[in-house]
Amino acid sequence: MAIINQATKELQVKIVYYGPAMGGKTTNLVQVHDHVQTAAGNKGKLVSLATSSDRTLFFDFLPIEAMSIKGFKTKFQLYTVPGQVIYNTTRQLVLRGVDGIVFVADSQYEKMPENVDSFTNLEENLKSLKLNLADIPYVLQYNKRDLPNVAPVEYMEFLLNNRDVQVPSFASTAHKCEGVFETLNMITRMLLHKFVSQGTPQYA
Amino acid sequence: MGTLPQLIEEDIQRLDEALRELLEKSDATTALIIDKGGFLISGQGDTRQFDLTTIAALASGAYMANQTIANLVHETNFNSVYQQGEKYSMFVICIDESSLLVVIFKASVSVGAVKYFAVPAVKQIADQMQIAQERDPGGGLDLSVLNIADPSALFKKREA
Repeated sequence: MAIINQATKELQVKIVYYGPAMGGKTTNLVQVHDHVQTAAGNKGKLVSLATSSDRTLFFDFLPIEAMSIKGFKTKFQLYTVPGQVIYNTTRQLVLRGVDGIVFVADSQYEKMPENVDSFTNLEENLKSLKLNLADIPYVLQYNKRDLPNVAPVEYMEFLLNNRDVQVPSFASTAHKCEGVFETLNMITRMLLHKFVSQGTPQYA
Repeated sequence: MGTLPQLIEEDIQRLDEALRELLEKSDATTALIIDKGGFLISGQGDTRQFDLTTIAALASGAYMANQTIANLVHETNFNSVYQQGEKYSMFVICIDESSLLVVIFKASVSVGAVKYFAVPAVKQIADQMQIAQERDPGGGLDLSVLNIADPSALFKKREA
């Protein structure tokens, strides 16, 4: 649940990058951190709680502010979860208070079962927090499109985006920063749209 | 999971008063109110020398991880975490379903005093949160003034 502070005119939003192990979640955050255009001082440090072999152990965390929102100081907190199956409890902890989700899928053919399992796991973990994926803005990112053995986007859409309401999806090559900002901008737009449309009736 | 009420200026003033009182009595350095999801709500004391946004995210993660461990060992009476340091120590205590109090203090300061004075501070903060909740139980978001200057790209990639 986003935090809004009327006194200081601050809005804080939590976006979680979810997906199978080694899919590129941390790489997305690293690329945002390295390439985001900011006014001085509003990009935080990228904090990574990783093992010695650079696998995410708890989460990665990157606080940033959007430059082009007036009226409220809007702080976005980007988190990743550890993708490995054994860290499920940790994933549940990181999902607490989530406002929006970026599901980073690995485009390689052999990773399709892991993508589907991870997506199912996301739905289950949200349920355990009494949340429903249908109520949370989320986007799909089909990563690693530069590899030779990738599945067609249409096939991935069929596997992961085959619902009543289809969500935006992006092809990406995160380590080259392709598709990273497109994904982030879409999820933030969806979130802000949700907040604004939720807030209006109350004050109408 | 509980959701945080909408806080108005009066709420923040009261919360900050409670934090200032705690710092004065316990001789601690910094006191924060954070959300269990990792957001910083308010902070008092020395707020410049520490990266409070990151501390809020990590402290809530550490607290929640410890709470899960406590559950796994069938401990039902878990409500605080104490991190002992050589320069600075940290004490995190649960305020209510949705928020935590974080106190950072010099190692020379007595942890007993911090724990003792944290209890009334937690009560004061929880009461104010309750008042805020009752004022607006729906807790909607008024973002009517929010204005996206350039909706095409909220975040821009820096040109190489």
